[in-house]
Amino acid sequence: MPTKPTSASIFAYQVGFGDCFLLRFNYPANVQKHVLIDFGTTGLPEKVAKDHLLLVAQDIAQQCNGKLDAVVATHRHADHISGFATGSGGPSSGAIIKALNPDVVVQPWTEKLSLAEDALGPKGSQGFAHRAAARNLNQMQQAAAQVVDALDTHPRRFSQALAARMRFIGEDNISNVSAVKNLASMGRKQVYTFHEGPSGLEAVLPGIKTHVLGPPTLRQSEAIKKQRAKDPDEFWHLQFKRLAAGGAQTGFGDPVFPNHVVAKGTKLPASARWLAYRMQQAAQEQLMGIVTQLDKQMNNTSLILLFETANKKLLFPGDAQIENWSVALSKDKYKKLLADVDLYKVGHHGSLNATPRSIWGAFAKKGTAKKAGRLTTVLSTMPGKHGSEQSKTEVPRSTLLMELKQHSELHSTHTLGQGVLFSRIDLAL
Amino acid sequence: MTTTANTRKLTILAQDPSVKVNGAIAFTRVDIPAEVLADGPTGYRVKLVDFDASANVMYTPRRFGPDPKDQDADPYAPKKGLARDARQRWEARVLADPAFHAQHCYAVVMRTLARFEFALGRRVSWGFEGHQIHVAPHAFLDSNAFYSEADRALVFGYFKSARTGQTVHTCLSHDIVAHETTHAILDGLRDGFTNASTPDQAAFHEGFADVVALLSVFSLKEIVAAALQGDKPLPAPRGHIRLIAKARVTRKAIEDSILLGMGEQFGSELEGARANALRRSVTLKPDRGLLEQPEFQEAHDRGEVFVAAVMHSFLTMWSSRIAALGTFPGNKYNLDMVIEEGAKAADNLLTMAIRALDYCPPVDLAFADFLAAMLTADAETVPDDSRYHYRKVVRESFAAYGIDPPQGPTNPRTGAWSAFAGSADITYGRTHFDSMLHDKEEVFRFVWENRRALDLDPLAYTRIESVRPSVRQGPDGFFLRETICEYVQVLKIFGAEVQVALGIERPEGMPTTQSITAYGGGTLVFDEYGRIKYHIAQPLRDGKRQSERLKYLWESGELDQPVEARSRFANLHRRRLI
Repeated sequence: MPTKPTSASIFAYQVGFGDCFLLRFNYPANVQKHVLIDFGTTGLPEKVAKDHLLLVAQDIAQQCNGKLDAVVATHRHADHISGFATGSGGPSSGAIIKALNPDVVVQPWTEKLSLAEDALGPKGSQGFAHRAAARNLNQMQQAAAQVVDALDTHPRRFSQALAARMRFIGEDNISNVSAVKNLASMGRKQVYTFHEGPSGLEAVLPGIKTHVLGPPTLRQSEAIKKQRAKDPDEFWHLQFKRLAAGGAQTGFGDPVFPNHVVAKGTKLPASARWLAYRMQQAAQEQLMGIVTQLDKQMNNTSLILLFETANKKLLFPGDAQIENWSVALSKDKYKKLLADVDLYKVGHHGSLNATPRSIWGAFAKKGTAKKAGRLTTVLSTMPGKHGSEQSKTEVPRSTLLMELKQHSELHSTHTLGQGVLFSRIDLAL
Repeated sequence: MTTTANTRKLTILAQDPSVKVNGAIAFTRVDIPAEVLADGPTGYRVKLVDFDASANVMYTPRRFGPDPKDQDADPYAPKKGLARDARQRWEARVLADPAFHAQHCYAVVMRTLARFEFALGRRVSWGFEGHQIHVAPHAFLDSNAFYSEADRALVFGYFKSARTGQTVHTCLSHDIVAHETTHAILDGLRDGFTNASTPDQAAFHEGFADVVALLSVFSLKEIVAAALQGDKPLPAPRGHIRLIAKARVTRKAIEDSILLGMGEQFGSELEGARANALRRSVTLKPDRGLLEQPEFQEAHDRGEVFVAAVMHSFLTMWSSRIAALGTFPGNKYNLDMVIEEGAKAADNLLTMAIRALDYCPPVDLAFADFLAAMLTADAETVPDDSRYHYRKVVRESFAAYGIDPPQGPTNPRTGAWSAFAGSADITYGRTHFDSMLHDKEEVFRFVWENRRALDLDPLAYTRIESVRPSVRQGPDGFFLRETICEYVQVLKIFGAEVQVALGIERPEGMPTTQSITAYGGGTLVFDEYGRIKYHIAQPLRDGKRQSERLKYLWESGELDQPVEARSRFANLHRRRLI
């Protein structure tokens, strides 16, 4: 049995706005190991066939010679897992992946009890927190569904531009039951992990240490806030519940004082019209604010994996944002590990918030083209789908893109030509 | 009905429906400026519009007829002597009436505004063009409330309780209405405090709004009583002196009572939709290192340190005032006097905090600057602090949280700003005293003429933000007349220019083409003869401050970000939930 990989290839598939990375580690004697990290999209590239994900799945099957060693689903957003859906009939990308029979499927701890209601979670109070968080994830997805429903049933109450942005994020957060079930049922072993937890990958990837940097558990989040007064409501995992409850109620409803209605929206007195119009706009923006927060909370359940070989480090943070990173960044040993990362999968498709400056600043190997052994970055994205330039929230963020181009060897799926299925990056290990 | 020459009384909730005294929801009647109101209520500073955007309907406003009796009526005044059941039915009826919600909001907004005008000795403008602020008490279905500059409005959402299924109205929380009103007033008084700046300034808007809200609430006797009761009821009023054991009113005992009783009730109805500022401020123990810790770099958490410093000052001041009261046999105090002293302490501290705004620099405010401003403001109107030692208490409370007056521009003994020492170099001759009291152009001419003596950067764009007369009466009966002027300097530069323009190093990783807006400025306090008394400045070329600000904004990603006039506070409050 080979013990150390000699080289690696990363296949960054062009899936539009989504992530799909196949990692191949080459070992002596022509042994190869394959790990699929995420497979989803919420916006396919222009002029591709509707069954584009099927083509991607078939290519993955071909590249890995019909056998995946591991599947990693970083979090449950549609743009990371929709490719795992099996559909109702006929061939599906999810069925193809399942047939590749991965030895292990790795997901964040927050996914565990959403799949198994009969409590497979850790023991004690932490287990309770896991269950609560999982329930809240489901509630958040219901809230997202309600928002999308409101867009369908009350189209006139929304400005077109805002509705489009809201729908895009809302749909990304709606539960994809088929993909979730398929992920739960594929593979010989399911691993739900957390900061410093087991990756489950050591057995299938000899000679590679996989560090799980995030997401933290409830207790780990608590530990870095030990100076604070004890107040469980403060921890971001528990905020799921409040956010979910708030989100689920937001939208349109019946009057709260049905016996005190003096005028309907179409027959308001002149003195009230200006503010009423402004409040209608404000209500839309509030809804957008809630949807954005749902999205952020879900991003923060992302797995952050760091693959360490004898002389290279590959970082795959999913869509994690700073709250998820905070526990790892509070420890010197991880700061040290991150300093000499060789390959960085750019977080959250190049959004402003997913590559905190503290992390980018820590990468010692970034530098201009002249720098030997400089950092490689890989980005899966599609402009024009998420955020807006006006508010400087467009994805990918232009300033980040410029920085990536100047100070790293950037490979981005959005610059691939039409019909090109993937970008391949080869690394000697 | 009660009307006096300048004020009227209206019934409001003392805090929110979850705060009870002896089992009854705490309502109170507050004094607010008298005026002839239109339906809404709509008055000279507030316009209530009860439109619900989620249901797309408008609710019955609080109506006021032309008859003076209608105008003066307070139909929600609590009836005395009701049996428990009857009282509860009355409470339920009032809380289910949107017109009461409108009255409550109107009265709290006006009371808060009047409190600022009293402390500052002048009319105070909102943070937008216009005289009347809109208030939407049931704006939409959402557990959020905020001030929106773009809508010239205070916006209050409502939501369904996950616990009881009942609708919870954010507009019914006195502290929330006062908090949002304070944002609108502060935005009018100091526009520069919403600029992207240091962690302290980002935290100040929220912290100060919490301070005003909490002290406003604690200046009501019903709330002080609720704070004292803890988990043991207080003796009910029976027409004679009520007594309370000394052991129940020590500083520690009051802290415990607040935590056991009102601290838990306070805002509990909101089910976490708002942080419990009261409980946090009491439980956050003094620690000089707090502000250096990573978790207190974020604006909301940092603001809580500021609130804790003020609220600990309040508790000490209250204790000192109680200690000065005479005792009754059996080591007991007159309960009503204890309550009154608490309300007075809160009121006095609130006055100090509001007056401090006039002595703050207009940009890049640090907590340390605010402390110096507070000590200065109080020393100006109350030179003799020997009775209760308020300034000593405030200075020590802030010091316990690591906030000291800035070294250099303050008097080390008093902690207050040092008097302006550069009078000899100032040219007064080319401007006119009368115009200097109100005319921005005249003040600008004065500032420009004296730019060297005032250490202004001639390369920056300089403007006068405000010229405001201020008249305050001290406890000795004399009036203190001052004119408060703010000037701001703005310099737009690129990353490559920070060394030349500001004398600082460019943060690591910042491109040379990065667009940067740097601010400088000062507050000039003129005495009643038109001479500069204080020059509270943040010079543009203050390398240490500019370096810290730039590093913070760069690392937090807030540098040169667009600001949305509607969602700024909405998002801030929503983030506070997350």
